[in-house]
Amino acid sequence: MAAVGARLLLRPGRRWFSETAPGAPSPPVSPLYPPVVASITAKSKVAKSRRLQRFNQRVHEAATVEEKLRLYGKLQRPKYTVYPQTFALNADRWYRSFTKTVLVPGMPPRAAAAKPLVAAAGATPEGGRAPEPAAEAPEAPESAAGAAPSLDMSELRSLACDAILQESFYQNKKRPLLYRDQDHTPGPFLTQLVSTLAAFLSGRNPLLAASSLDLNPEVNYYWHHGEEVVVHGHRKGRVDPVRFQIDDNPHLQIRVPKQLPEVVPLESDLGDVPVIDHKPSKLPLFKKQYENKVFIGSKVADPCCYGHTQFHLLPDKLKRERFIRERLEDQIEVVYRSNGIASLFAWTAAQAMYQGFWSEADVTRPFVSQAVVTDGKYFAFFCYQLNTLALTAETIKNNPRKNICWGTDSKPLYDVVEDGNVKGFNDEVLLQLVRFLLNRPKEL
Amino acid sequence: LFPGVRQAQWLTKTKLVEGLPPAVQGIVDNPALGLQELEERAKHAVSHARLWDTTEVAPRREKYCPALFENLIHICRLMSGKYPSLTKRMLARNCRIAAMWERESILLQVRGLSGILMNSMTPIPPVASKEEILATKEHVLETFYPIAPTIDLQEVNVYKELNDTGQCFRDGYPYSHPHTLFFLESANVRTDRFRPEQLRAKMLMFAFGNALAKAKALHRNDPKVLEQPIVVQSIGTDGQLFQFMVFQLNTTDLVSNDGIKNLVWIDSDQNLYERAQCVPEIKKRVVTKPAGISGFQPDTFKKFLALYLHGTV
Repeated sequence: MAAVGARLLLRPGRRWFSETAPGAPSPPVSPLYPPVVASITAKSKVAKSRRLQRFNQRVHEAATVEEKLRLYGKLQRPKYTVYPQTFALNADRWYRSFTKTVLVPGMPPRAAAAKPLVAAAGATPEGGRAPEPAAEAPEAPESAAGAAPSLDMSELRSLACDAILQESFYQNKKRPLLYRDQDHTPGPFLTQLVSTLAAFLSGRNPLLAASSLDLNPEVNYYWHHGEEVVVHGHRKGRVDPVRFQIDDNPHLQIRVPKQLPEVVPLESDLGDVPVIDHKPSKLPLFKKQYENKVFIGSKVADPCCYGHTQFHLLPDKLKRERFIRERLEDQIEVVYRSNGIASLFAWTAAQAMYQGFWSEADVTRPFVSQAVVTDGKYFAFFCYQLNTLALTAETIKNNPRKNICWGTDSKPLYDVVEDGNVKGFNDEVLLQLVRFLLNRPKEL
Repeated sequence: LFPGVRQAQWLTKTKLVEGLPPAVQGIVDNPALGLQELEERAKHAVSHARLWDTTEVAPRREKYCPALFENLIHICRLMSGKYPSLTKRMLARNCRIAAMWERESILLQVRGLSGILMNSMTPIPPVASKEEILATKEHVLETFYPIAPTIDLQEVNVYKELNDTGQCFRDGYPYSHPHTLFFLESANVRTDRFRPEQLRAKMLMFAFGNALAKAKALHRNDPKVLEQPIVVQSIGTDGQLFQFMVFQLNTTDLVSNDGIKNLVWIDSDQNLYERAQCVPEIKKRVVTKPAGISGFQPDTFKKFLALYLHGTV
């Protein structure tokens, strides 16, 4: 009886009851009544899910990428600020769990598509050409397309040594300011080295010739991962996603108009993601509420919207001597790794968002970028492949994909600079850097 | 108060020639360089620096002026794929210059941060021919009687005469020839920036200072006419207007007012673009100025590139 009475009172366009089961069996042949769905404004779990669905629908239907980004980051709530360069202990495990990243030590195996070897070892055949004689032939940029003249290591070494010597020895500079050692010598050295190497190698890598170099750009990314209960305040007791924001300032970055090729297929599983049971604030990580920014270094209208390589300079606060003094030698590598993982995740994810993907619309192709983290003398190389953006509590449930980060340990480029000579120059580090810069899609 | 370049000319014993020297103009007009394709990239460079470089709506001059300079230099540097000798260049930032000379019994010196300096291993060949240099003998320097030529200059008691350490590098530096000086007027407030005339004067003084320091490093301190004149170029900008200058030091004999003079070619007030709108300007619901870069002048970029390539092409 009561049910019949209730049905009679249900007129189209009016909601008498605030709670109705979603997808309640509507009368089979009834164009008269609107679908019986959950309310939007009620304080109930089902109404919340309906609001979320409407929000997702709005973002899906956004006309331009700028509009999508604006809607994605419209609601401001307290979020954890993740710093890529941090002194927190074992930060790289925490960062891997936040970003669902697998760390694979060493560099990814590359197909011998376009990797000319060092002069001493002989040239790799490219396109079936016979290897050139392993002489110290100077680079010949006007050689026909397809030939791979061997890289002149001595030329590259002299470029690098010139950069080191100019900044540390030849130029008369004033003394470095307090705690600003990194701006005094390693900063300008890195800028000089990268710009001259990029110019030198642009003849072989057409992607570099169309690239854009940013000095001190800004890279931001905002995402949700996991769930928590709000602890205090007027929203106490509600279940909220855990929000993170990375605001990064790499020292230098190279952006290109075409994407780097994928290293491994999209669905590959190369390891495990660490699971940490504690709250992120135990890292320590602190919450703040401010603008939710997603930025790769320039706005969406820029044609160079994919990333190639980033260069990070570790600040004075995180120098090696400090860790050795406090007997935390194992944390030195952690600093490099956490910087690489966090910065590259933010950059690749922001690039993916610039292409219109987000956590509800996961990426259909992997996004690859590279990074070099250095403190002026020691270099560590990282390569990151973003396979998934779906890290929120609902989307992560059925998502088998993981992001992958390859990383090396930090190695010195040279031992010491004395009297205008660079002692103990390490060719492998330079070669790895050159390989990074020469990375390009297979078509080019 | 005073047209700065005329005063600078008297102080450095220089003759002014309008426009760029024919050698540089030749590079600009040379079609083999492929300057047409670079136009597109230059436009992107300008758009990036002026429109896209920031999370805010519009970047400020302190940000976009250096960003524009870096982008243009990046494009120029990438030409070293075509011209391998371009790799023999090195940029030095924040270098301090100190040069001292005597002009009709007045001791003058140039000191300070001279912006960004580009050095190369090989010197730029002299731009003016021998006849032109000799012809400067006839040229009479403008005097500003009754105003003393040292007006608006700071009088300082110098206890140590620093001249040959004018180079901010030690001996044995492989990139020993100053090639081009870059001046970026990037203060946000207009009164903190130099006006174009003053900027040109500053460029002239610093180019002269660098050339003089190089000459003294090569020939010690004897004042004489140089057989191999030293050429130093200079580019100054505030993010939109560009001033190009090529300075040739013919003589270090600066005490007297006659004899051979130095030469300077100035190409002033070249606009790279007319306007850069970040947000379209709408008056009475009609878009009067669309967003983007309007009025892009590729010639200015070509001159920039020509000055960069000068000496190696």
